[in-house]
Amino acid sequence: MPSLPMRSFFAALFFVLAACAYSAQETPKAVVNPMHRAVLKTHCQGCHGEQKQKGKFRVDDLPEFIDSVQGAQRWQKVLNAMNSGEMPPDEEKQIESRVKADILEDLANGIVSARRSLSDQHGVIALRRLNRREYGNTLRELLGAKIDVSELPSDTRGGGFDTVGASLFMSGNQFEQYEALGREALEEAFALQAAAKVEKKLRFEAEKTLDSFAKINEGAYDRVRRASLWIKGVDEAAARPENATIVEELRKTEKTDTFLRNAWRKIPGAPAPEQFGFNNNVNPEVLSDMPSQIKTQFMAYERHYFEMTGLDTGAYLTIPAKPCFPPHANTWIPLVIPSDWPIGDYIFRVRVGATEQATPERRFLEFGKDPVTHKKTASLSTHHITGTMEAPQVIEIPYTLTSKLREGGNRTLFVRERGAGDVHNAVARFQTALSKNGIGPDLALWVDWLEIERKLTPENETPPGMRALRGIPLEDNAPAPSQEALGAALERFVWEAFRGVPAPKGTVDRLLNVYNARINSGAKHRAALLETLTSVLSAPRFLYRPEPESNEERRALNATELASRLSYFLWGAPPDAALLALAGGADLLLPDVLHAQVDRLLNDPRAEGFVTPFTTQWLLLDRLDLFQFNLGRYPRFDDNTKEAARNEVLETFAYLLKNNAPMSDLLKTDYVIINPVLAHYYGLEIGQGDEYRKVVLPAGSPRGGLLGMAAIMAMGSNGEHSNPVERGVWVLRKLLNDPPPPAPANVPEISRLAGKVLTTRERLQAHQEDPQCSSCHRKIDPIGFGLENFDAVGQWRTADSYTALDSAGKPDLKSKKTWSIEAAAIFYKGPAFQDYQAMRDILAVRTEGFARGFSAALIEYALGRPCGFSDENLVEDVVSQAKEKGLAAREFIHALVRSKEFHSK
Amino acid sequence: MNTPLPRRHFLQTSTALIALPFLESLGFRKFASAATGANARPPKRLLFIGFGWGVTEESWFPNVTQKGADYVLPAGLQPLERHKADFTVVQGLVNKYNTNGHYGSTFWLTGANEFGEPGQSFHNSVSVDQVAAEHLSNDTRFDSISLDCGAAAGSSGHGPGLSLSWNGRGKPIGGPRNPLEAFHRLFAKDTTPIEQQKVMLSQRRSVLDNAMEEARDLQRGLGKTDKAKLDEYFQGIRAIETRLSRDEKWLGVPRIEAPLLEPKPGLAGYEEIKLMYDIMVAALQTDCTRVLTYRQPVSTLLTSLDIKLDSHTMSHYHTGRGEKEEVSKRRDLSQSELLARLFDKLKSTKEADGTSLFDHTTVAYGSNIRTGHTLDNCPTILAGRGAGLKLGQNHVVTKDTPLCNAWLTLLQGVGSNAERHGDSTGVIKELLA
Repeated sequence: MPSLPMRSFFAALFFVLAACAYSAQETPKAVVNPMHRAVLKTHCQGCHGEQKQKGKFRVDDLPEFIDSVQGAQRWQKVLNAMNSGEMPPDEEKQIESRVKADILEDLANGIVSARRSLSDQHGVIALRRLNRREYGNTLRELLGAKIDVSELPSDTRGGGFDTVGASLFMSGNQFEQYEALGREALEEAFALQAAAKVEKKLRFEAEKTLDSFAKINEGAYDRVRRASLWIKGVDEAAARPENATIVEELRKTEKTDTFLRNAWRKIPGAPAPEQFGFNNNVNPEVLSDMPSQIKTQFMAYERHYFEMTGLDTGAYLTIPAKPCFPPHANTWIPLVIPSDWPIGDYIFRVRVGATEQATPERRFLEFGKDPVTHKKTASLSTHHITGTMEAPQVIEIPYTLTSKLREGGNRTLFVRERGAGDVHNAVARFQTALSKNGIGPDLALWVDWLEIERKLTPENETPPGMRALRGIPLEDNAPAPSQEALGAALERFVWEAFRGVPAPKGTVDRLLNVYNARINSGAKHRAALLETLTSVLSAPRFLYRPEPESNEERRALNATELASRLSYFLWGAPPDAALLALAGGADLLLPDVLHAQVDRLLNDPRAEGFVTPFTTQWLLLDRLDLFQFNLGRYPRFDDNTKEAARNEVLETFAYLLKNNAPMSDLLKTDYVIINPVLAHYYGLEIGQGDEYRKVVLPAGSPRGGLLGMAAIMAMGSNGEHSNPVERGVWVLRKLLNDPPPPAPANVPEISRLAGKVLTTRERLQAHQEDPQCSSCHRKIDPIGFGLENFDAVGQWRTADSYTALDSAGKPDLKSKKTWSIEAAAIFYKGPAFQDYQAMRDILAVRTEGFARGFSAALIEYALGRPCGFSDENLVEDVVSQAKEKGLAAREFIHALVRSKEFHSK
Repeated sequence: MNTPLPRRHFLQTSTALIALPFLESLGFRKFASAATGANARPPKRLLFIGFGWGVTEESWFPNVTQKGADYVLPAGLQPLERHKADFTVVQGLVNKYNTNGHYGSTFWLTGANEFGEPGQSFHNSVSVDQVAAEHLSNDTRFDSISLDCGAAAGSSGHGPGLSLSWNGRGKPIGGPRNPLEAFHRLFAKDTTPIEQQKVMLSQRRSVLDNAMEEARDLQRGLGKTDKAKLDEYFQGIRAIETRLSRDEKWLGVPRIEAPLLEPKPGLAGYEEIKLMYDIMVAALQTDCTRVLTYRQPVSTLLTSLDIKLDSHTMSHYHTGRGEKEEVSKRRDLSQSELLARLFDKLKSTKEADGTSLFDHTTVAYGSNIRTGHTLDNCPTILAGRGAGLKLGQNHVVTKDTPLCNAWLTLLQGVGSNAERHGDSTGVIKELLA
């Protein structure tokens, strides 16, 4: 479909390029198709012409070119009036449906083009502030401090990338947040520095949990036993014939047994709870419910637990009978980092094996922190257990303890079986097993020990900002530094903080003034130094990435500016020492050196700071968090799977970058990049190890490429049902680079189908009835139909069903309708396809549009401004250079980094 | 854009401001008395509450043919029955420039044209609350407070922004994002001795000075677009300085005791909105500020009602299945319940002269989105007797009346001499008593 290069930008019928060849200065104009003007003349001019100007609106003098804000506004008004059905009025002759749909489609696309053209920034990049994640990364690289910056605005709203300068605002509020966060990061860095030489190690043997497990529950069981005796006493008293009248009277208000027992004082002869060892303020209702509670159901499970072998050297993990109860049931095994251990990077280890009873889906271990308050939230990581009790495996997990995390339960690390923290499913699992075997679920995982270790920080890993302060005491127990020494240290710190830009004249003096003013008002050295450094971290040269251009002329970046542009592009973080060294000698401006640096940056783990934010925003992955998935309906799509599914998209792009594989693999390929959690979800074999890696697909698999990814399909749902419209729009936008115009305002919605039980196709068929709907949906819906074999959580299905809810919100089972999936459809003005595979094959060869869309996204992300019409040549260049290398992922980046635009202010 | 003179002037006078007799001449007595409530005529206040994804149109809007006081309250507004005589539903207002069916709040209080500036992909202008604050809040500790719902805003149909408020240059204004933050902003106690507070204020100024100097130094080398961007930084620092001089005026005046307990952290949805409303009332009651906006959550409101459907899907209830419309209606009922409770509170909170807060406050409640992607007939409820409005009405405006006409009516109603706002064409006389 998008075979012409311009196809993506212009609706070919209504608007054509006024100038086919144009330069960056010359923005193309949108021209109105005369055929459509003729329709407007016939249908509208009678009331909205020179003579009659109803509503003070004329169509006869609508501009031929949409080259002004006012002109766009007038055409927008025509579009609005037709979309809302207001025009032509009901009593007038209507425009033929097909013609109207064409006009609406072209007009909507034309206005999008016109808006885009009018807002074209012609290559001007507005001063870029560090966005939230860049700010956090920058503090990490400069100071080694990993602090939580989530209180800052996310900078991601508004549709564009979070790198676009014009949308990165600043306010007084935010300035103060930067001050507070900067101070926090410095405190953190000082504390890390102080603890650089501290080594710690602690091992906790899992069997140590067993004593309290047994003992404390004993107390609980005893309470249950005594409560049962009390209940028996009250029930017997209530059953006595002489109490019949009283009880009958009580029953009028106390309808349940529990309520009746609650009123035990009114029943003659009923025993008091005190007689059974309870204190006098115990709530009788609680007592009454105690024996029937799940507490007792755990007893058999516990007995079974203590009959297992392996308890002399380790302990098993259990599935809870009820959220969080009993607390000592070893649903998790904790390891507490002692409170006097310093902050810093730790390594957590666990030695663990699966039992013979462990089925494949139960061979996963979750690692997390704060098991009590975080019982409902996702774990920090999930690990595939391939070890056994005879040959357990040791899993190593890095954990960073920050000052903030030292509070509360964050020092309590734990392991649990996958899903044991998921209230909804875990309890159901327990109950199902209990009803089958009278005990509970098999014990699947056995833990030998947990371990935590802190290693000393090697001298050469001191972060650059802290290295800059060498020779300056960071605490008050040493003599305060001389002004000269302090000045020199501040100068070095500023150079690091400003990313290789030397402190401007006056800056160091002003910082010394800030320092001295504090000292003079009684502050100690440490506090004064902290405040002084904080003001460096809230200075504009730190918070923004300035590229000065004094005479308003576009100029080439110098090597230091280029180093920042490159590192924030490919790391989302400041340039490191190596990059700054190359910039210092201007070597970075040599093409070969630059090329090698791009490769080096992409090979560095920090490239994650490009892969994650870019991919997430490019492919709109945030939608995964927009709604809750119905876990009752889709228990397998738990948080572990959802995160693994999201990571699959990121890891696949990372794989393409790392191996310089073709971007077209995202359209269709014969492999997936997955971890064991997803392998299990997709039913694929993967082997040992938690990392994401390449797994070759069996023939006929629907996986391979973006469309086969669970995350992409799950995004095209609402957590309950698949959403073909959402999927169709996504494919048009992201794969075909042929985005439909934004959902128009004020289109009358179709309400006559509300509440009816229909198949998805029947429901969407209604879109074809009104031109206002069909103008876009004729393109969108067929693609959505082709993806209907994927359910709301991205699993393959051959049938779907719909059950209406009754007025109480419960499924009305009588209404249930089931149908088999028919994925066959016809692309609008395009080929027909029989099924998903055939549709994917059609999409897979449309690499041109996909490559253009990807390039435009890269340009916007890297340059920090919208990709406008004036970038058409740049897009063309990037795509054609990548094409020469078979669309290899890195070639897009190399081509962009080579471009004049990437080197220009 | 940035002249050093006014700031120098500010710094010179700022030390003098600390002397108390000077304060009285600056109107200190006036606000001090307002705070203690003696012999003061209660001031006028404005609240703006935006709820993102519109309403269920069939059951929220009164019948347009039943104009005036004699109308049947529709199902979606039933919880407001007891207040029927005290609010007016305005129908037919439009924000003609907004074309984005997912922007319920971005232009709601501004009426700006997103595409109004050539060469820019996004444009906005000042919101009505900020205009009102300039007029109403000279004597209060805070000129205005813009409350928000944090991360939930993204999925609640509000569109871009950090709250409902936009400053004089059309930049978003952020503020407390949950009840706890709001409580701390308004009622946090500073137990530092005055002398030390003075030292801290002056240290604060030297830090800001330094930031200002750094920015000025940077600005000299920048091109036009970058200068305009860096101007936000200057504006930010100035905003802090303005607040500092306000703080300075209030130095030594003890923070008012909060009329409610510190909220628990982590509340979301229904309870969160309820508490935010309480805090808004508390802010007015203690005269901390006279203008508040609140961009309230819809997505977490649904979650807190144990609804699994996401709010975007719910808002497009028409095209689909029956339960969406049910959810949409439940949303309306909950929102109306909360609003009714807010009215209760405003009515039961007494001013020093025996009148109630409701007598001096105007509540504007609504969204730029009617329902789904529909942007005409913005749902609007106006309540309270603070702006001379005619209440108890089902008022249908003439076709194409700008929403900004309603805002202009409120501005003038509270005594501002604003002549236009956004795309306004005049006041709506029929709304006035």
